[in-house]
Amino acid sequence: MTGVIARRLLGSLGAIFGASIIAFVIMRVLPGNPARLILGPLAPPSTVHSLYRQLGLDRPIYVQYWRYITQFFQGQWGYSYSDGAPVRTLIGERLPATIELALFAFLITMLASIVLALLVTYRRRPIADRIVRAIAYIGFGTPPFFVSLILLIVFFSTLKILPGPEGRLGAQVTPPATVTHLYTIDALIAGEPGKFLEAVEHLVLPGVALGMANFAFLVRLLRANLLEVSREPFITVVRGKGLRRWTAFRRHALPNASLPTLTAGGLVLGEFLAGSVLVEKVFNWPGVGSLVYEAILKQDFSIVQTFILLSAVMFVLVNLGVDLLYAVIDPRVRVRSVVTA
Amino acid sequence: MSSGLLTFAPPDGAIREVPPLGDGSRVRRALAAVLGDRRLAVPTLVLVAIVLFAIIAPLAWGVGPDTQNLLASLKAPSLAHPMGTDQLGRDIFARVAEGARISLLDGTLIAVIGAVIGGVIGLLAGTTAGASDAVLMRVMDAILAFPPLILAMAVTVGLGVGLKTAAIGATLVLIPWYARLVRSEAIRIRSLPFIEAAHAIGASRRRIIARHVVPHVMPTLAIQIAAGFAYAVLLLAGLSFLGLGAQIPTPEWGAMITDGLTYSLTGQWWVSVFPGVALLVTVTAASMLSDRLRDVLDPRSSGLRS
Repeated sequence: MTGVIARRLLGSLGAIFGASIIAFVIMRVLPGNPARLILGPLAPPSTVHSLYRQLGLDRPIYVQYWRYITQFFQGQWGYSYSDGAPVRTLIGERLPATIELALFAFLITMLASIVLALLVTYRRRPIADRIVRAIAYIGFGTPPFFVSLILLIVFFSTLKILPGPEGRLGAQVTPPATVTHLYTIDALIAGEPGKFLEAVEHLVLPGVALGMANFAFLVRLLRANLLEVSREPFITVVRGKGLRRWTAFRRHALPNASLPTLTAGGLVLGEFLAGSVLVEKVFNWPGVGSLVYEAILKQDFSIVQTFILLSAVMFVLVNLGVDLLYAVIDPRVRVRSVVTA
Repeated sequence: MSSGLLTFAPPDGAIREVPPLGDGSRVRRALAAVLGDRRLAVPTLVLVAIVLFAIIAPLAWGVGPDTQNLLASLKAPSLAHPMGTDQLGRDIFARVAEGARISLLDGTLIAVIGAVIGGVIGLLAGTTAGASDAVLMRVMDAILAFPPLILAMAVTVGLGVGLKTAAIGATLVLIPWYARLVRSEAIRIRSLPFIEAAHAIGASRRRIIARHVVPHVMPTLAIQIAAGFAYAVLLLAGLSFLGLGAQIPTPEWGAMITDGLTYSLTGQWWVSVFPGVALLVTVTAASMLSDRLRDVLDPRSSGLRS
C-alpha cells in the first residue's frame, strides 16, 4: 500500500515537473520581447535592455527555468504587464467570485445528477430514461458558452425572470459585509435575505451553464452504475433479508454506485477551470476566468502563464487526491493494489 | 451458431446475424452493417447531411459569406435569408455553411493527425518495454496534466493567435489520448498466443508489429477518430469564442457566436443561435457515432460513456 502511494506521489510530481517545463517552453516561444511588452512601444531601447537583464532573460536557459519554477512555488507570480499589479493580488481579488460560482455549479450538478439518475433507475420509466439520456448526450456536445447563450435568451431576454449578464449582483445593490467573500454566505451572515436572493438569482444561469457538461457526464455514469449495482447479488440478499426497497437503495445501491464517480473528480475540476473562462466571459462574472480572458485580449501574458501552470498543478493534485481517497474509502482497491504491487 | 453464420449478441441482447465473410465487397458489407443498425444509421446520416451541406450550400447559395449589406442588417430569418442576417447584413446561412467547411475540415485534420502521431507514440511505447516506454509516457502525462482547453489556450497564446495555432493546440491535446489507447491495446495484443506463434516461426519484431499488432490496433483507433473529431471541433469553437482561434471575418462557428453575442441578447437571437445549433448537431452526431460504433464493434468495452 505504501509502495503504491509512493509511486502515485512520484508520478504526480513528475507530471507537475513535466507540465512546468511545457508551460516554460510555451512562455519562451512567446512572440516578442517581454521587456518590450511590459514597457510599451515608446520606451527607449536602453530601458528595455535593462529590464531585459533585470528579468534575467540574458541568463542561460536552465537558470531561467530554475528561477521561474522556484518563484512560482513561492507564490511570486510576477507582475501584470498592463497595470503593474502583482499577479497574485489580481488573482486573489477575483478568486472568491469564481469559487462561489464553481461551488454553486457543483452543488446543483451533484443534486441534479443524483435525483435524475435515481428517477430513471428506481423504477422503470422508459420515457424519462430516454429524455435523461438525450439531455446527457446533448449536454456533453454543447460548449458552455452556447448553453449560457441559450439560457440567457430564454430566461433573461424572453421570459425576463432572471437577471442578465451583469455579474454577481444588480447594479444598484451593494455587496453584503465581507466575511467569506462569498456573497450568498455573507448575506446570510449579515442577515439580509434580500441580498441573498439577489446573489442566488445571479448564480443560477451561469451555474447551470458551468455545470452542464459535468452533469451530462455524471448522470450517465451514475445511471449506468446504479443499473449495474442493482443487479448485484448483494442487493438481492439485503432485499431478501426484508429491507425495504428504498432503504436497500439508499444504504446499499447508492453508495456503491456513486463511488466510481469520485474518480471523475479531476475531470469535473478541469471542466470548471476551462468552463469558467468561457462562462464568465458571457455573464461578465468578475472571476478568475474573466481576468484571464481580459489578459488574453490585452496580451498580458504573465497572468495567462500563471493561470495555466496553476490549473495544471491543481488538476494533478485533485487527480492524486481522488485516487488516494478512493483507495481509503473502497477496500477493494486497497486489496487489489496489494495483490498487484 | 446457425447454418454457418457468424452470430454475436449486441449489448441490447438481440441476436444479429452477420453475413458470412466473402459475401459482397468489404465496403458494401460495412455499409449494410451501418445502415441496418438504427443506432448507427441516425448519427451517420446526420453527419453525411452536414458534409453534403458543407460541400453544396456554399456553391449553390447566391450570397457569399462575407458579402455585406448594411441596409439589410439584423433581419429576422425569412425566405431570402433562412437564418437571418447579422449586424453587417451578412447572410448567416452562407456563413454557417462556410463555417461547416472550416469545422469539418479542421476537425478531421486534427483528429487524423493526432491519431497518427499519438498512434505512433503509443505503438512505440507499447511494443518496447523499459526506458523508451517510460520516457514517452511521462511526456504524455505532462501533457495530460493540463485541462484540455487550457492547454490549447496556452499553445495559441504562445504561438500567436489564429486558426492554425488553435489547430496545433487541439492536436496536442488529442495526442496523449490516442497514445495511451494504442499503448494499452498494443500491450494487450502483444501477450496474445498468436504473437508468440509468429515469434516462434521466426517472424522479425518489425514484421510482427507491422503485420500483426498494427492491424489489430486499427479498429480501436479508427473508432476513436470520430470522438477526437467531436472534441477537436468543440475545442476550436471554444478557442475561437475566446478570440484565440479564427479571426474576424472568418465564419468559424465559435467566432460567429462571440460576434453576435450582444445582438442575440437584445432580441436578434438568430445571429448566434444558428451557428451554435450547427456546432451542437455536429459534435453530438460525431460523439454518438463513436460511442455506438464502439458498442457494436467492440462488445468487450461497453465503456464509461454508455
